[in-house]
Amino acid sequence: MGFVRLTIVGLIVMTAAYFLISIYSRSVRREKLEKRWAAEHPGATDMAARAAYVEKGMAEYHASLRPKLILLVYVIPVIVVAAIHIVTTYY
Amino acid sequence: MRRIKTAFFILVFVIVGGFLHYVLPQHDIVRITSTEVIRTDFNWLNRPFYAQADSGASELATRDLRLINTEKRRTWLLGFFPRDSTRVMVYRNEDTGWIWPPYFKFDSSDLQAQAAANVSTNANPQWAVLTHYGWRNKYLSIYPNAIGIRPVEGPDVTVIPWFNIVFFFFLAIAWGFLRAVWRQFRERTIDPTMDDIEEQWDTVGHHLSERRGRFRRWLDTWRAKK
Repeated sequence: MGFVRLTIVGLIVMTAAYFLISIYSRSVRREKLEKRWAAEHPGATDMAARAAYVEKGMAEYHASLRPKLILLVYVIPVIVVAAIHIVTTYY
Repeated sequence: MRRIKTAFFILVFVIVGGFLHYVLPQHDIVRITSTEVIRTDFNWLNRPFYAQADSGASELATRDLRLINTEKRRTWLLGFFPRDSTRVMVYRNEDTGWIWPPYFKFDSSDLQAQAAANVSTNANPQWAVLTHYGWRNKYLSIYPNAIGIRPVEGPDVTVIPWFNIVFFFFLAIAWGFLRAVWRQFRERTIDPTMDDIEEQWDTVGHHLSERRGRFRRWLDTWRAKK
């Protein structure tokens, strides 16, 4: 019963962490793209081109490995739990 | 206002610090004198300081509790500085199971056997490092929970708290991350929304923007003072 509870609570917490990190990571990437655009096109007022540049960069980000690394928030806690359990029980 | 704030932060610090002091592992240098089992009847006050029933057992109002009686080396400052004198210390030995605190300990029977195997006399002492969490309180009848026992050569061993070092390192990283997330959220979501609202209000009437300033000032109270 305890194991079921740990699994459910763990899944909820890890999912919350996953979404928090994903949203943060996307937001940071978008800001970086906007700043890069501003640096490359000083004084530009073509907002459509800017939006296209940012969207293209975001599509590249989504296709890259980085957002998939966030899935590690599901893997690392499981490893930590297993490690603590093994150390307390067998050493 | 400033005093209330200071009092609030001290309160938070004491609560968080006490919580961590209770939950994080600590190492005592002990000589085990005996082991025993007593029956315990919990009450509402000390029940939170005991684990739930063993992983394979069911929860009843009364149960047996394994204890490890020791003579413990005294220390200064959370165990960082050893002293020459000793005092008696009693540890309980309970499964934490899958729940809380997250030690995932299921081997209290084996640990009890190990404690019994290391019992020694004052004349011929066998010292051991006993890892535990929790507090001893005589008025509440609560005991720290033993996690592991490691026999050592003598009472003068240095124990490096690796787990706690790693734990505080990651706690600092998590804190920094949450701050960064909050700043990003403010900069990218709250502030632009506030600016939009301000623009709309400017057309309606100037006095309304006063509110936004107030909200902004309230938000600024969450920010570190420069």
